[in-house]
Amino acid sequence: MNKKYIYAGIGIAVALLLIFTIPKYFTGNVTASGAQISSGIEKVEVYHFHATRQCVTCKTVGAFSEETVNTYFSNELKSGKLVFAHVNVDLPENKALVDKYEAKGSSLLIGVYGRDGSFSKREDTNVWYKIGDKTDFTNYLKGVIEQKFSGL
Amino acid sequence: MDIMSFMQSMGTNNFTLIAAFFIGLMTAISPCPLATNITAIAYISKKINNGKHTLITGFVYTLGRMFTYVLLASLIVYIGINVQAISLFLQKYGERLIGILLVFIGLVMLNIIRLNFIKSSGKLDKIKEKLSEKGYLGSFLLGVLFALAFCPFSAVLFFGMLIPLALQYSDGILIPSVFAFATGLPVILLSFVLVFSVSKLSSIMKKVELAEKYTRYIVGLIFIIVGAYYIWKIWL
Repeated sequence: MNKKYIYAGIGIAVALLLIFTIPKYFTGNVTASGAQISSGIEKVEVYHFHATRQCVTCKTVGAFSEETVNTYFSNELKSGKLVFAHVNVDLPENKALVDKYEAKGSSLLIGVYGRDGSFSKREDTNVWYKIGDKTDFTNYLKGVIEQKFSGL
Repeated sequence: MDIMSFMQSMGTNNFTLIAAFFIGLMTAISPCPLATNITAIAYISKKINNGKHTLITGFVYTLGRMFTYVLLASLIVYIGINVQAISLFLQKYGERLIGILLVFIGLVMLNIIRLNFIKSSGKLDKIKEKLSEKGYLGSFLLGVLFALAFCPFSAVLFFGMLIPLALQYSDGILIPSVFAFATGLPVILLSFVLVFSVSKLSSIMKKVELAEKYTRYIVGLIFIIVGAYYIWKIWL
């Protein structure tokens, strides 16, 4: 009989806790808006980080990203305004880059250098939802990179 | 709207708990943790003919996953452990550990390795018997262990999507719990379907006892195969 009261008590406590804590999760996503760079863009870097062993999905993200930059940003790649690379996080020679971008394994990270010497980086997780549709993927990433070049 | 864009819109839902749930669901249905999910389903549904038992074990398995995810998120959110370090470490060693352990557990299940060297007092034996009889501790530990197996894609979902949410709300408990629940849900549902269909089939064929007898061996075999798969994937 006592057990019943204990269970009921725990149940009520949990319910109350949830009722009071849940509303805070409604405040909405704070969109990570990188600080707007007004002085102009020096360079944009797009890095596909991966481990030595790659999953199929990870390879797709890397391949689609490479194709996107080669198709739409070949001039920027040549002039060095845009940098793209596949970076193996397991290799010691990449350690500085991995640490700079705080890569947590397979990921697509975009870094922006302002003319004033500022640097901001952002991981793009949306690309992972787009690997089933190449056109969607390329259009999306193209838009993101263009946005970076316009300093947003 | 196709499934991926649906998952994306839910995974970035304004109500963060819904987002956490769908990121978890995405983890559960993505192909890369499939091997651990199959093993878990096999283990959870090993007692065929008992739907209630399957549900409870499945739930306890999910609690095990919850334990790991909450622990990891709390270490990051409350103690400030470096996300990068923990993520790279688990991706490197998690699957190796699981491969070896699964093969070992499978061999014990098939009685190829006998755990006779663990001699214990009568009382401890009884507790052990009780635990292994119901299998709750086993499935809890299985959940703890499997949640540690981060393949590259599940690491993206957990460390790249869920942890930023947890950090944003300074919440290392509720968000990862909802996530964990969603990662366990498909396993519970599939185990339930499996138990239901196997018990129906075996009762039609009047072979319930035979099926009961063989499930242990089948489960042991699945453990060894999946464990071998992980070991093969890494060292060869």
